[in-house]
Amino acid sequence: MEEGLEDKMLGDLFRQKLEYGEIAPSPSLNTTIMRTVARREFFHFIPSRFNIWYAGAVIVAGTALTLILTSPPEQKIDEQIISIPSGKTITVTESGRSDNFSGVPESKPSTANPVKSGSRQIESKIASAETRLREEPSSGKSTSQASDQASLSQVSGTNVIPELTEDNNRLKGSIRSEHYIRASISQGCSPLKVSFSCLAVPCDSCSWLFGDGGFSKLKNPVWIFDVAGEYKVNLNVFSAGTKSVSSVIITVHPQPAARFEITPENAILPDDEISFHNYSDGAEKYIWDFGDGITSDLPEPHHLYRKSGNYNVRLIAISEHGCTDSVVVENAFPESGYFIEFPNAFIPNENGPSGGFYSTRSDESSQIFHPVFSGIGSYQLRIFNKGGALLFESNDISYGWDGYYKGSLCDPGVYIWKVRGNYLNGDPFTKMGDITLLKN
Amino acid sequence: MMSDQQIIEGCAKHERKAQQLLYDRYSRFLLGVCLRYATDKAEAEDILQDSFLKIFFNIEDYSGTGSFIGWLRKVAVNTAITHYHKNLKYRYHVDIEDYVSVETGITSFEEDFFTSDELYRVLNELPAGYRMVFNLYAVEGYKHKEIAAMLGIDTNTSKSQYSRAKAVIREKLEKLRTLKMKYTAGEEIDRIKENTENR
Repeated sequence: MEEGLEDKMLGDLFRQKLEYGEIAPSPSLNTTIMRTVARREFFHFIPSRFNIWYAGAVIVAGTALTLILTSPPEQKIDEQIISIPSGKTITVTESGRSDNFSGVPESKPSTANPVKSGSRQIESKIASAETRLREEPSSGKSTSQASDQASLSQVSGTNVIPELTEDNNRLKGSIRSEHYIRASISQGCSPLKVSFSCLAVPCDSCSWLFGDGGFSKLKNPVWIFDVAGEYKVNLNVFSAGTKSVSSVIITVHPQPAARFEITPENAILPDDEISFHNYSDGAEKYIWDFGDGITSDLPEPHHLYRKSGNYNVRLIAISEHGCTDSVVVENAFPESGYFIEFPNAFIPNENGPSGGFYSTRSDESSQIFHPVFSGIGSYQLRIFNKGGALLFESNDISYGWDGYYKGSLCDPGVYIWKVRGNYLNGDPFTKMGDITLLKN
Repeated sequence: MMSDQQIIEGCAKHERKAQQLLYDRYSRFLLGVCLRYATDKAEAEDILQDSFLKIFFNIEDYSGTGSFIGWLRKVAVNTAITHYHKNLKYRYHVDIEDYVSVETGITSFEEDFFTSDELYRVLNELPAGYRMVFNLYAVEGYKHKEIAAMLGIDTNTSKSQYSRAKAVIREKLEKLRTLKMKYTAGEEIDRIKENTENR
């Protein structure tokens, strides 16, 4: 059989049987579909049907109204536009205060806020409700007036494109740029804490972008800028369907870092002249407070203290923008400047007496018995053997015992040492102990 | 009784009543279309639901010149194609080479021999790709070029898929025929027996 014919027959079979074939759907499918349709329609803008856009418009209008009614009289109000997506537009103009506050005497809020629109017509029920509410605080007379002015008409959305006044045309849909930001400070040192306030009234929702990646939905947020730099803070105000953008520049100056070091280490007051080494960053001016009532503004000062004591040294580093950092070294010259300590063993040089003079460099192998010390004024060292005989005596701290007595090396063993004297600050000291003489 | 025109106008205004009427009038037909493109009734009803959403929200797209039922069918077929593409990766892919064309002695198929339920079953059991091409070509009457564009495949692929689909269908129908012959034959014997006993 020819392929073509067979082909056609198979197709025909299916077409004839199935082209208009009908299958009964499950009964539940009907409700499922209708429910889905209803849900979609709610989120889908259809003028003739109550849906989310209408619900949204009612909420927006209600919020705007509440804000207008509750806003304190001293706040500036320019103009609010309530635009409803279906094309109905309500314009509420608040005249008087901000526009011509110069010579016009302040009138009461109730009378100063007449509801106006270009055509003197307020469309939709929302607007009429608003009119009544707005006029509540005023006298009954003005209420009736307002209701008279408002011609109420509920119009179906599809064919309603209300005549827009010039005012409306100018403002509708445009993003208005007005300065609604009040910042507590426009520049300062990091970390800079800035209190922002949104001046827009009404303010259905505020959205702050702080320019450093941070954001806030609060009306009056407080933000801390940690890092130095210039930040453009943006405020989007959504009020009654319009969006206003405001921005302000916040300059955050870097913080200097104050650091310094004191030399010499373990300085002895009042003998040593103290040098202050300045390692500060990002500063151009310095104030030193040496703690003894004397200050300096040199970058790296030297100072001679008149007497010993506990001094708190403070450095204040000031940057070009006036940002400051300070660091304090408390008790900069501690008691550790006055000490005397002895070892407990030494190995004398067997090649003969050296006379006992030493320096820390020449006595690396501990051939001389001598103390490590600081801030010693007067000094007397005596060495005794176990029998109590005096073997060595020195009144000069730069001379220690070389381990010899009368020209001959002492036997290895334990000897007694005793030291007394005064520190440079006048405090006396007396110490004694034993020393083991070792042999190589 | 509302005319199609009234229903369309009502649906354009999103009137619930018109939508319900449209559903009542055409859901059976559209499910028949959807079932040809699905593996089972549940999938067909999924496609049907999406089709109705499209129909209700895009009814203004219907120009009013062509036949309304044709437009509805087109929406359903397009939805089925979308559905096919969406679920393509989840489907069990049948190796095409498994279905080698089988030459059968059968040259024609008696129209009344197979019920439409059986034919739906045959279509449902086809691999999805074959089913799409076969439906679009044989039942909907599209050209291979159009099918290739709709499914995003090559024209030759469409042609070869179609011929393989036919082979599979023929094989299935052949099996079905043998089964039915046996069954009807058995029935016949039973009836004869019954008759003889009665006598």
